[in-house]
Amino acid sequence: MIQIADLQFRLGGKSILEDIYLEIPDGEFVAIIGPNGAGKSTLIKLILGIHSLQQGSISIDGVEHSAWLNKHSFGYLPQHETFERNFPATALDIALMGLAGSIPLAHRIQGRHRQLAMNALEQTGVAHLATRYIGKLSGGEFQRVLLARAIVGGSNYLILDEPEASLDRPSVQSFFSLLKSLNESGKTIITISHDLNILSEYCSFLVCLNRRLHCHNKMELVSADVIHNTFGESVRIIEKDY
Amino acid sequence: MFKFHFLLNALFGALLSGLSLAIFAPYVTLRRISYMGEALSHIAFAGIAIAILMNWNLSITTLIFVVFISLAIGWISQRHKLHEANTISIFLSVSMALGIILISVSNNYAFDLASYLFGNVLLITGGEVQTLLILSILNIAFVTIFYKELFYLTYNEEMSKVFRIRTAPVSRLFLVLLAVNIAINLKSAGIILVTAQLILPAVIAFNLVRNLKWAIIVSAIVSVLSAIVGFYLSFSLNLPTGATIVLFEAIVYSISMLLGDKNNA
Repeated sequence: MIQIADLQFRLGGKSILEDIYLEIPDGEFVAIIGPNGAGKSTLIKLILGIHSLQQGSISIDGVEHSAWLNKHSFGYLPQHETFERNFPATALDIALMGLAGSIPLAHRIQGRHRQLAMNALEQTGVAHLATRYIGKLSGGEFQRVLLARAIVGGSNYLILDEPEASLDRPSVQSFFSLLKSLNESGKTIITISHDLNILSEYCSFLVCLNRRLHCHNKMELVSADVIHNTFGESVRIIEKDY
Repeated sequence: MFKFHFLLNALFGALLSGLSLAIFAPYVTLRRISYMGEALSHIAFAGIAIAILMNWNLSITTLIFVVFISLAIGWISQRHKLHEANTISIFLSVSMALGIILISVSNNYAFDLASYLFGNVLLITGGEVQTLLILSILNIAFVTIFYKELFYLTYNEEMSKVFRIRTAPVSRLFLVLLAVNIAINLKSAGIILVTAQLILPAVIAFNLVRNLKWAIIVSAIVSVLSAIVGFYLSFSLNLPTGATIVLFEAIVYSISMLLGDKNNA
């Protein structure tokens, strides 16, 4: 369980997050929604330890945040992965990155690590691309490689920042089905998303954020009013047919 | 006999100088930090000037000065949230200005500035060849031992941290070793030409192979071959050695572009 209390975060004198009290129960498929600039990415970067805490506390499985991060890592899939397009890494190298932190400094990656990474690539459906260089992968294929990297370390928590952004419509559907099966195997999934329809189909727990928390509850308990309050007047929920 | 020794020192000097830099070159090109090599070599100029003014040992003073400044760059850009490239540019120009003033104040007319600007392998002593040999071994050990960390650090530093890969100490060590390489190679490669040796062998390698391990090996082979051919050409045509090596590498680069279909770096 992830517990967040009294979280405030400022950047360049501007308040990004205020008064965040949040509990994410284990085993949920959590969607964080909110308009652009609502602080969604900042919130997950604080949970991941990419940003340092300024005020408030985060605990994971009852352990204080930095102590937990010293021993564990989250499975994380960023919105944009910055890398040199021609970087000489294969899909397998990238999947192995999710294990590299557990291999001691100056120790080599071994056959058993490669096997685990291959299993993860298998699970995300891209094992056949293991030896392909990342520059030669399509957006959807690379996204699945990044998902393999996120799950290979065996973390119980999988955090994703708008995974649908670089996918076409059919890929979004199959990608979320894959996330759903990971969720059913016991992983807690936390994803930022803009696609309310896909979320209503797959997610079990909704966090509505616009600098402050507007709701954090089971999906079925969240009303359209709350979503309107989170986004302001600008939101329109459109029925989509995939 | 004397001439033979002197030539042998120069040849091995050029060869090991190229080799030591070539091992770092693939990382420097992939991380797009060749400006760092350029800046550190110019910063070394102030170190040289301080040594001349104070009458200190030139190599040791330059080495300490460059390593110190490279650490200061990392510290200042972190502390003041300045972009590293901006911090480096500031240090580069200030160091050059300081160097020029100190050289002019020292009134040391015996100092051959051109040798340091363009490099002169003919001035290399037996002791310096040994230093270059140790440096090359150190570089090979560094990229072998920390291969995993260097690979992911070069790929994406922030994501490496998320996955708890210990890139921070390796990144610092990389910077220090880069500074050491540049300071030690100044005499043979020269302030202006040292950067070429830090880039060209790697871009040639990436035109020919994709795998990073192979790129390091090919980069090393290219630099050694270039040193031998450049050395031979410079002697037979009576041309400056460092510049001839760089020009030869540029020709190899053009050929590698025709051979390879993947201009990677």
